[in-house]
Amino acid sequence: MKGPEGDALDSFTVSQISDENKMRSNSGFPVQNDEEELIYDFQAFVTQLRDPRADPVLRYTRSFLNNFTTKRDMWTCEEQQKLVDDFKVFVYDKLTLYEPFKSLDSAKLKNAQEGIEKLIMGKLYNQCFSPCVEQRFQGKIDPSHHQDLKRDEKLRLRREEYAFIDPGLLEIPNSLTHRLHKFTRLSGKELSRINEYKAPRDKMVCVLNACRVLFGFLKHSGLENGGADAFIPVLVYTVLKSDVRSLISNLNYIERFRYSEFLHGESAYYLSSTQGAADFVANLGRESLHITDEAAFQAQYAKHQEYVKNERAGASGNADASAAKTNTVATSTPAPASTPAPSEYIRRPLDEATSAILSKVSELFASTTQASEAPDEQSDSKTQLPQPDEDADTTALAQELQEQENHRVLEELHVMFPDMDQELIQDVCEAKKYRIGVCVDVLLTLSS
Amino acid sequence: MLQFKLVLLGDSSVGKSSIVHRFVKDSFDEFRESTIGAAFLSQTVKLEKHQDVTIKFEIWDTAGQERYKSLAPMYYRNANAALVVYDVTQPDSLVKAQSWVEELKHKVGDQDLVICLVGNKLDLCETDASARQVDVEDAQAYSKEQKLLFHEVSAKTGAGVGQIFQEIGEHVYERKTAESAASAAAQSRKTLNVELQRPSTNDSTSCCA
Repeated sequence: MKGPEGDALDSFTVSQISDENKMRSNSGFPVQNDEEELIYDFQAFVTQLRDPRADPVLRYTRSFLNNFTTKRDMWTCEEQQKLVDDFKVFVYDKLTLYEPFKSLDSAKLKNAQEGIEKLIMGKLYNQCFSPCVEQRFQGKIDPSHHQDLKRDEKLRLRREEYAFIDPGLLEIPNSLTHRLHKFTRLSGKELSRINEYKAPRDKMVCVLNACRVLFGFLKHSGLENGGADAFIPVLVYTVLKSDVRSLISNLNYIERFRYSEFLHGESAYYLSSTQGAADFVANLGRESLHITDEAAFQAQYAKHQEYVKNERAGASGNADASAAKTNTVATSTPAPASTPAPSEYIRRPLDEATSAILSKVSELFASTTQASEAPDEQSDSKTQLPQPDEDADTTALAQELQEQENHRVLEELHVMFPDMDQELIQDVCEAKKYRIGVCVDVLLTLSS
Repeated sequence: MLQFKLVLLGDSSVGKSSIVHRFVKDSFDEFRESTIGAAFLSQTVKLEKHQDVTIKFEIWDTAGQERYKSLAPMYYRNANAALVVYDVTQPDSLVKAQSWVEELKHKVGDQDLVICLVGNKLDLCETDASARQVDVEDAQAYSKEQKLLFHEVSAKTGAGVGQIFQEIGEHVYERKTAESAASAAAQSRKTLNVELQRPSTNDSTSCCA
């Protein structure tokens, strides 16, 4: 992550936006936050990509992926960022030249751009997400990726050290403490789903959902106009109390690989806020706390450190035991718990749907085409298109996984609002399309 | 539409968020976007001085509590404007505001940033003149010396709030147009070079082939 001084030297960040909002409302899309409301349909994009006329775009993409993965064993983080960004600028321009993308309206074109980002970052994830890079190169990694890991570890240790602190120490008003725990837990859960997606956009949505839950809570507590004074302490508390693995690596990954034009406005604000909150916790010391009773704090602190020490002793004892068990099966050294295998980062059903869809086009990318071969119009690529029934399977799978996801949201809300009628919760979910932040907001209003 | 990032700085008791809420509430916006919460707001402004020019402010609120000061650089990086707010009835809040101004000048540099110093809670002085603890002349002199825009407002009554955003809007817009004109002139001299800057196979750090 660049320091503020460096960034400040950049020129003005004014960007020329077309009458995007206007166009979207004309085309029937609600005028809303970009990340949430724009209808995002990866399957539609894949279908477009399989159109024979999309062949040049497909070949550019394949060639880029091939070059990225074979030209050099390891790029620095900054090189990766530049390569990915240059390619997006390049290929987004190509989308305006080739059918079926050429004749899409602006919303559908944006969907295709999102699709490209998701596609390439899905393919390059293991080389770009710092914990995966570490996994691949076992410590011999470039400074920026290394820095992410160091900061994640720092965050983990501080979180452990200060896990005991109560809201007052972060200047969270007493009026909030009553239900604070419940809501920060839910928010933390949404945030921790960041590890279940590969696409920068999907990770970003997790951050926004987490923030939305907190705002639902603040609104209900009469602090909706409290601005950042009310929000930041609660966000910091959420980061401190939740156990989101590799949070800093994840946030930096979004910052690096989300297309800069998509990362403006509200998304940029909440990404920066969460990065700020993570930094705050990673650097937490008693001077950053609002301590009113020094002696009581000391006692609590000492007691907690004792607890942490015992926990660690217990955990390493267990690890030794399990290591001893697996010792006989002498294969590769098992990774420590803090650095799971790359595949572990992706467990989400919705991403499985993506993978399933991706596998349908994987043969398009499995080609051994020469890297230097430029796409041309009269290409006669013998692309194996999936059979129609496979398409139906994929759609069914996507639907099934969406239902699982809806079920998860419903379950979460039942736990959050145990006194509320189950059918009512379901109605709200359906009306609000299972968007958890919005649902929380409505349910809070109904329950008051 | 041109968009500008504006960051809000000031002690937690000065009512910086209220100024923005007043501004947004009093403005008419047919394309009001729904927002996650009140820490980030966007608002369009029709500039009075420049006919047919509407700009959009993206307003980034910061936490005013001293202990969260270290987060501020995350917010003011790449900002086009900063609203540094103090409370006219609290002299300490001006001291704090001045330290923000210094930090901004040191870290961002005022060639990149329009800074506006704003004294809030003017309404309290109108009902009781003795409530005022910061003389308008002093704040004005400081602003002049530091080349800041300066306003006294009341978020409660709305007095002066619209003018802040008009004036900041004019300044950021004029800077932007001057900058665009300069870069357009530079571009036209180097049209050929621009053409060559496109990603190509010859670029060793490009994979666009």
